[in-house]
Amino acid sequence: MTSSFNKNKYKGLITDLYHRVGLSGPVAVVLGLCFLLLPLLPGEFPVIVGVEILILGLFAMSFNLIYGYMGQISFGHAAYFGLGAYGTALLFRAFQGGTGEIGYFDFFLSLLVAIPVSAVGALLVGFFCVRLTGVYFAIFSLAFGELIFYVVFSWYSFTGGDNGVQGLLPPPFFQNTVNYYYFTLTIVAVAIALLWRITRSPFGYTLRMLRDNQQRASFLGINVRMCMLMNFVIAGSFAGVAGALWGPFQRSVSPGLLGWVESGLPVFMTLIGGAGFFAGPMVGSVVYTILSSYVTMFTVYWPLTIGFIILILVLFVPGGLLFLIDSRIVNLRNRRQSDKDLGSVSYGGQGENQ
Amino acid sequence: MPADFGSVLIQLLSGLSRAMMLFLVSCGLSLIFGVMNILNFAHATLWLVAGYLTYTLFQFFTAIFGDSGLLLIPAIILATGAMFALGWVLERVLIRRMYAREVPEQLLLTFALILIFSDSIKLIWGVENRRIFLPIEPIEMLDSYVNPYIFVIIAVGCGVAAGLWWFLHRTRYGKIVRAAVYNRDMVSALGIRISTIFAGVFALGVGTAALSAGVFLPIMPIGLGIDMDLIIQCFAVVVIGGFGSILGTFVASLIVGVVYAFSILIWPNGALAIIFLILVVVVIWRPWGLFGTEMRY
Repeated sequence: MTSSFNKNKYKGLITDLYHRVGLSGPVAVVLGLCFLLLPLLPGEFPVIVGVEILILGLFAMSFNLIYGYMGQISFGHAAYFGLGAYGTALLFRAFQGGTGEIGYFDFFLSLLVAIPVSAVGALLVGFFCVRLTGVYFAIFSLAFGELIFYVVFSWYSFTGGDNGVQGLLPPPFFQNTVNYYYFTLTIVAVAIALLWRITRSPFGYTLRMLRDNQQRASFLGINVRMCMLMNFVIAGSFAGVAGALWGPFQRSVSPGLLGWVESGLPVFMTLIGGAGFFAGPMVGSVVYTILSSYVTMFTVYWPLTIGFIILILVLFVPGGLLFLIDSRIVNLRNRRQSDKDLGSVSYGGQGENQ
Repeated sequence: MPADFGSVLIQLLSGLSRAMMLFLVSCGLSLIFGVMNILNFAHATLWLVAGYLTYTLFQFFTAIFGDSGLLLIPAIILATGAMFALGWVLERVLIRRMYAREVPEQLLLTFALILIFSDSIKLIWGVENRRIFLPIEPIEMLDSYVNPYIFVIIAVGCGVAAGLWWFLHRTRYGKIVRAAVYNRDMVSALGIRISTIFAGVFALGVGTAALSAGVFLPIMPIGLGIDMDLIIQCFAVVVIGGFGSILGTFVASLIVGVVYAFSILIWPNGALAIIFLILVVVVIWRPWGLFGTEMRY
């Protein structure tokens, strides 16, 4: 919040939201409206892209719980996404039996199982990771992520190895893309609301303190490792929810979901959108997924393209797109403010999670 | 599993040669991190580019001068030189801008380099695996056949390790680099052009990786994707050995290389798992690595 905060300046809903919760508020309203109205676009393709945006956006937001809020970088986050997807897929197959059909109750149950599966995975990995910080944390999470990938990849009898699990046809109602889209939207919206609640809780502020000064946090009597571990498990569980939605959407899961390429996705999305903002990863997901869906139509050299885009973003747009917008707004307001009372001090910081 | 002496010897030799490759790639990684605090994710991808470059140069030379395995030597030297130059340019143009940034942003930049370089390889060389066949007869040792080229590799690895040690401990520039590992600001305060040192270290790291890629071409086919397997093992090596320590990197390479070779014999799919297990144990016991200093951790 800037110090130019002034109650009399409320002009409308959007400005009001901006004053209360920062840039993420207006962004959430705009994105929410867009998501609700998206199926009005002609054709099925935008809806499919929409489901992808939502799932990957939730995945990236769960990653940002570790990166943006706790200040550590998890390079193996896809492991929990993949574990969730596999948990759902395997139970799904078990319920299907030989018939290839699944009841509604069984469907929901198999989606739910993703949460404990990925939470246990995150607990096991997190137990070791939270002992370290910085680059070591990144390397450790990457190493464990690859380890889980190799386990899934080579355990043919249980996970199907590199064939993955095929034929995950959801119940009739959800086979319609638009229905599945709204179903995903509902779950993702609930998950985001929970995430918002978590980041605004005392626990969420403890995480920010761990990011800024771990030593000080431990002086204040905070169990640093316990807090980091809890956050790791929470982030892993939300990634698992995103993974659970992925299987029935793609009708299959493959070990690639746990690999390092998939782990790179939330990192890209978060940095594109802006790690300092609650809505940043979702904005990043919108930009990245739309780009990748439409650019791949024109060129097979998509990694080259995204590589250059990321290079430019890292070099010239540090802080992400939302930071770019936010700093413009802050500048604009500072200019207006200084017209009225010269000498007032106001600032906008990048490090603040809004 | 036949536990005879010959097969153990073969595994030991292949483990040692693998250790040499790991050392040549990860010593650059370790030095770059030690001096500049940049974790170069794209290191193994640059290694892969060097491998393809050596392959092409070798094909080019054999087309001109006739078929001879010795032509690999100029190909390796040229490719190493080219990669040294590329490393220098990369540091000057891109990496230099990242020193003041946060760690994730640095990682993201090198991640972008991975995407760019590996897709460029796909663009230029296609998706087929490449390897060089040298007409070398295997020699018999203890009732089993060993490719004598493995001894060349081990010699090159030990030679580079010794050379690097000599450079770092006995020359003026090496001493500056070691000083920079401990305190960059102090080094530059002494009037040493630290930016040249940075570029030099980055180029040196890429150069040694390029050398190993060329030397390994005759026994190991290269293809897209193996750079990621390699970089993760190199991270394991560097963490086990301790960042910035050449001796630590060498010892850790030997451990990882030999353990990998033997665990492939016993539990093919779990070889990497055993390496990560070692990594976990070392990090819990000594988070700064076997030969690292506590200060840097």
